[in-house]
Amino acid sequence: MRVIIDDKECEASYGEYILQVAKRNDIYIPTLCHSDALPGEGSCRLCVVEVIDKGQSTVVTSCIYPITKEITVVTNSKKITNMRKTIVMLLSARVPNNKVVRKLREEFGISEVTRFRLEELEQCVLCGLCVKACEKLGSSAIAAVNRGVTKKISTPYDEPSLVCIGCGACAYVCPTNAITISEDNGSRKIWGKEFELIKCESCGEFYASKEEVEFSAKKLNEKSIQHNCRKCRKKVNAEKFKEIFADVK
Amino acid sequence: MNTLNFNEIIEKYPKEKRYTLAILQDIQRNFKYIPKDAFTALSLYLNIPIIKLYSMATFYKALSLTPKGKNIITVCDGTACHVRSSSVLIDELQKYLQIKLGETTKDGIFTLQTVNCLGSCAIAPVMVINDKYYGKVTPSAIKKILKQYGGEEDE
Amino acid sequence: MSDKRIVYVCFGTGCLANGSMDVFNEIEKNIENLNLDISVKTIIKSTGCNGLCEKGPVVKIEPDGISYFKVKASDAEEIVKKTILKGEVINRLLYYEATLKRKVKSHKESEFFKRQMKIALRNIGEIDPGNIEDYKINMGYLALDKALFHMSRNDIISEISKSGLRGRGGAGFPTGSKWKQCDSIVSFPKYVVCNGDEGDPGAFMDRSIMEGDPHSVIEGMIICAYAIGAKEGFTYIRDEYSLAIKNMTNAITEARKNGYLGDNILGSSFSFDIQIVRGGGAFVCGESTALMSSIEGSTGEPRAKYIHSVEKGLWGQPTVLNNVETWANVPVIIENGSDWFNAIGTKKSKGTKVFSLVGKVKNTGLVEVPMGTSLRELIYDIGGGIIGDRKFKGVQIGGPSGGCIPEEYLDLSVDYDSLKEADSMMGSGGMIVMDDRTCMVDVARYYLNFLSEESCGKCVPCREGIKRMLEIINDICEGRGKEEDIENLKAISETVSEASLCGLGKSAPNPVISTLKYFSEEYWEHILNKRCRAGVCKELTTYYIGSDSCRGCGLCKKNCPSEAILGEAKKVHFIDGNKCSKCGSCINTCNFDAVKVK
Repeated sequence: MRVIIDDKECEASYGEYILQVAKRNDIYIPTLCHSDALPGEGSCRLCVVEVIDKGQSTVVTSCIYPITKEITVVTNSKKITNMRKTIVMLLSARVPNNKVVRKLREEFGISEVTRFRLEELEQCVLCGLCVKACEKLGSSAIAAVNRGVTKKISTPYDEPSLVCIGCGACAYVCPTNAITISEDNGSRKIWGKEFELIKCESCGEFYASKEEVEFSAKKLNEKSIQHNCRKCRKKVNAEKFKEIFADVK
Repeated sequence: MNTLNFNEIIEKYPKEKRYTLAILQDIQRNFKYIPKDAFTALSLYLNIPIIKLYSMATFYKALSLTPKGKNIITVCDGTACHVRSSSVLIDELQKYLQIKLGETTKDGIFTLQTVNCLGSCAIAPVMVINDKYYGKVTPSAIKKILKQYGGEEDE
Repeated sequence: MSDKRIVYVCFGTGCLANGSMDVFNEIEKNIENLNLDISVKTIIKSTGCNGLCEKGPVVKIEPDGISYFKVKASDAEEIVKKTILKGEVINRLLYYEATLKRKVKSHKESEFFKRQMKIALRNIGEIDPGNIEDYKINMGYLALDKALFHMSRNDIISEISKSGLRGRGGAGFPTGSKWKQCDSIVSFPKYVVCNGDEGDPGAFMDRSIMEGDPHSVIEGMIICAYAIGAKEGFTYIRDEYSLAIKNMTNAITEARKNGYLGDNILGSSFSFDIQIVRGGGAFVCGESTALMSSIEGSTGEPRAKYIHSVEKGLWGQPTVLNNVETWANVPVIIENGSDWFNAIGTKKSKGTKVFSLVGKVKNTGLVEVPMGTSLRELIYDIGGGIIGDRKFKGVQIGGPSGGCIPEEYLDLSVDYDSLKEADSMMGSGGMIVMDDRTCMVDVARYYLNFLSEESCGKCVPCREGIKRMLEIINDICEGRGKEEDIENLKAISETVSEASLCGLGKSAPNPVISTLKYFSEEYWEHILNKRCRAGVCKELTTYYIGSDSCRGCGLCKKNCPSEAILGEAKKVHFIDGNKCSKCGSCINTCNFDAVKVK
């Protein structure tokens, strides 16, 4: 079906999200909590746009708004721009010393926030991506705790995690680099837990924690575990395919 | 904590996610809080990660992670009660019991908390101690009411 | 003289708080003691809330039509000996009707009750909620019978649509449309849900209905389930409403026993049952998607409503979710017909609405009136005016999602659209009346504080926006307000109201916006003059005793919890500012208006 985004005609399939269609048509909509791998949060509200249907304008988040009929979308009206500015201002008040948010401030031309009492050390914007990543890829070691203004991401009782497998998916997906993960000489530390890293059999580099490998093997029902880092695994698998399909022209 | 105690409560329910809150509330009622081991037992039963259960326990105000006191004083801070000066009652109680909202006195006799509306607005301001309702409470009446429940006035 | 008297003792939470259970027991005891002489058979019923909780415990005697108020257990003997045995009226226990300047025999003669039209509250106070036979005697379950055996499913939906019934929980969405949309989705199973998570502070109509007439809700839900093809229903009740949970649970059991719930209802091929889900103490769970999330066994975090719940609700299935009061209206509409309902109310708001008239009003309680009744009639004629005859300042309607309406709008007709135009909203129908001793900035602060704790915390505008708005207002109330604060509040409000994920966030700025609109002088006074004219904001208030008004009676001194008042008998008293906690006890106790606010 046909939708109009910022006066540009775009093709969209039924149920596609506005953000997807916009991206495909090179129309820029800022995002923070959006990840192509883990879509659907809708918590930062930065990607808001106006949807105009039968003369009525509604503000929606483009990342999760499904296109079900022919609509007109405006991504850069004064109203939307002001809204995004306020959101960035609120984010800056929450994480005043965060590099990613500082960049957003620069993008929207907002000065440092001085009116409010600030938490100098806070880096997390509670987008929820880490929780989702841990659910889907990890062992569900972290989640949002408390409610309202005291909400935070943590482990049970804020104690070192008992179930974390040290995969680092949470830190990888975090848009503001708020999760501390450190690696030192074959040891990885995250969520208060230390992990022994395993060396890749092929190249000798540390590539994953023991727990992470066991966890994946269990999930994939692998009987024997081959310790290879991603790069080497590709090479090993390529060799295997070569062998299997040797006599296929 | 004897895990068997928890299982008695937990096993009354089917192994379905939708009963999580109900089970947690039963545990809360029984133990006056959710003990750490209860999370473990429930996690095994429902096959839900512990952090998800912990997250629920911190989200819902009916559940607590620390034991509540012998007597729970709930002051209604609904709008009608607020307009009839419930905040004054809350201040007076905090002063008298020497604890902040949500806390329990050292001797474990009183826990002070608020609720956002009990639906008894006609007799505002309302204070409930355990299940007994006190209506039209004035700051000067507080001492007399609390004395019925014992406990020493902390210095 | 009938040979069967029925004594009704109110067991609503308000009356229970005032000791109605003791009254009930004493009356019962006294009747038992006299069993040799009784020429009158008496049934004592415990009923739901009569609405005038402030004057409880309420005891009614039929068929004499006598209503007693503020009854104590010690009155029981006299009531039994005089009224129950001999039909004599005990004057001192009657209701004093101020407009008539005399006592009235029945509560029905009072202005408070006379002006009401009870539809949703039709049975409350008149039946024993624990007895299904009472409900049946009062036309209960006749509508269900009619719906199952004399109407088609389309007929039912059509009747509800034609009646003009709109959701009574807040938004006022046309109920018939909701049912119709859900019915049009071909996907099973479907669900029917009752939102009993009444969280609006100051509202207790749902509590009253669930406690006092649970079958009206059950019957409504069964009729809808039949119409849309649902087999399972849920009643989500707030954790704090223990009595409502108890009475609803009991009613469901009774309904099952009588064949109204379960398999093959009333011998038809339709099966449906209801489960009660107890809330966990979260206001946000009153939001429909959060409520469904809670039923599913998660935290109550709302979801985007770009796909409506009637299409994808509970467990991704078509779901009709309605409020308690909405359900209570359904059986009467089916029984009496849509034309009857349509004739009541205004053009776009049909039927009646239950309001909880609370705060600084004399007759506090639940009031059900036709849509279109004016605020003035509600507050002055039914409510009896302001306590202490103080000056009316405003009325907050719609809870934390609504706005404050000032004096100039007293003649506003109360219906969905007029309220919206006045920057307020119907909401659940909570009406908090405020007088000159209410600080409007403090009211805005109160609601923001409430919402900052109740927000689920998922989205940035709501969580961060409310936090910072509250910070600004706290600064204003505590004497640290800055001139640019008003503009800051307005700017953040705009984003929060449009960019938030759910209704809680979207309506959070309403109390701020409406108080800024109608009471901006108070804000400026707080900021520029560091003064709170209502005498509420402690840092901006000093109480003192006017020397020309004080008679030295000492009443204030006796009632001061901080021992901050000094003075000898018959001499002007004095408040020690260092000890004064500004609780206002002195202002409330003084009969000479001698305590003033600087």
